[in-house]
Amino acid sequence: MTLPDSVSTRLKFLCRVAEKEARHLLQTDERLFAQLQQSPTALATDEIEPLLAERMDAFVGRFGRLQDTLGDKLLPTLLDALGEPRGPAIDNLDRAEKFGWIDSADAWMAARRLRNLMVHEYIEDRQILSDALYTGHAFVPVLVAASARLAAVTRSHFG
Amino acid sequence: MVEASCQNSGMRLTEDQICLIRNVVHGVLGVRARVTLFGSRVDDTARGGDIDLLVEIDHPVDHPALSSAQIAVRISRGMHGRRVDVIIDAPNLKRQAIFQIARENGVLL
Repeated sequence: MTLPDSVSTRLKFLCRVAEKEARHLLQTDERLFAQLQQSPTALATDEIEPLLAERMDAFVGRFGRLQDTLGDKLLPTLLDALGEPRGPAIDNLDRAEKFGWIDSADAWMAARRLRNLMVHEYIEDRQILSDALYTGHAFVPVLVAASARLAAVTRSHFG
Repeated sequence: MVEASCQNSGMRLTEDQICLIRNVVHGVLGVRARVTLFGSRVDDTARGGDIDLLVEIDHPVDHPALSSAQIAVRISRGMHGRRVDVIIDAPNLKRQAIFQIARENGVLL
């Protein structure tokens, strides 16, 4: 398929960004949850230990950036390039689910909402914070797989 | 607090929307979960607005963050992307001042 150079350049750029973001998210995910496994009560305190707090911030930031790069940038650009209609985020995600690029549009949207509940300064109820973080942890492989799939689709169509 | 039984009284929701909200909440947290609509939607003079929901259950909730996110997403989808916010009051969660405000000013669906 032939695309204007600007679109093809942007698609390839977004794929590189997503793959980098996925790698960085995996690194933070590994460090954060190893630390939480070693000290399971660390989240229960009012004042979270500084290194843990930084890792949580990095996790939320990297999780959010990857999800936004994929869902708000790469996916709509790819749909456009393939001549598919693009619309509001939920419609694009439904289309991605139909094509098998993501498993569930609803789970994707739920993970997006969870990001607000992962912020330790704001979420005083530690049960909610902990559940949001661990649910996010379980969603990391979904984001990483989506990143690989969208990149593979891009390369198979546009080189 | 006013009680509504799938009918539109003292709030700006249709019967279908109320049934949708109840069905989604019951599907995620069980049929004994109670849902209260509060915020701008119970104000008949306001227009549009987010859907703010308080969900109360009598048993501990295992996944409070995930459950509230799932409920919000499913209701939002059924209401054409309308912004939905869900807070959960369960015995294992911290009491928040907003729970009481929602109970006092809200409408039980």
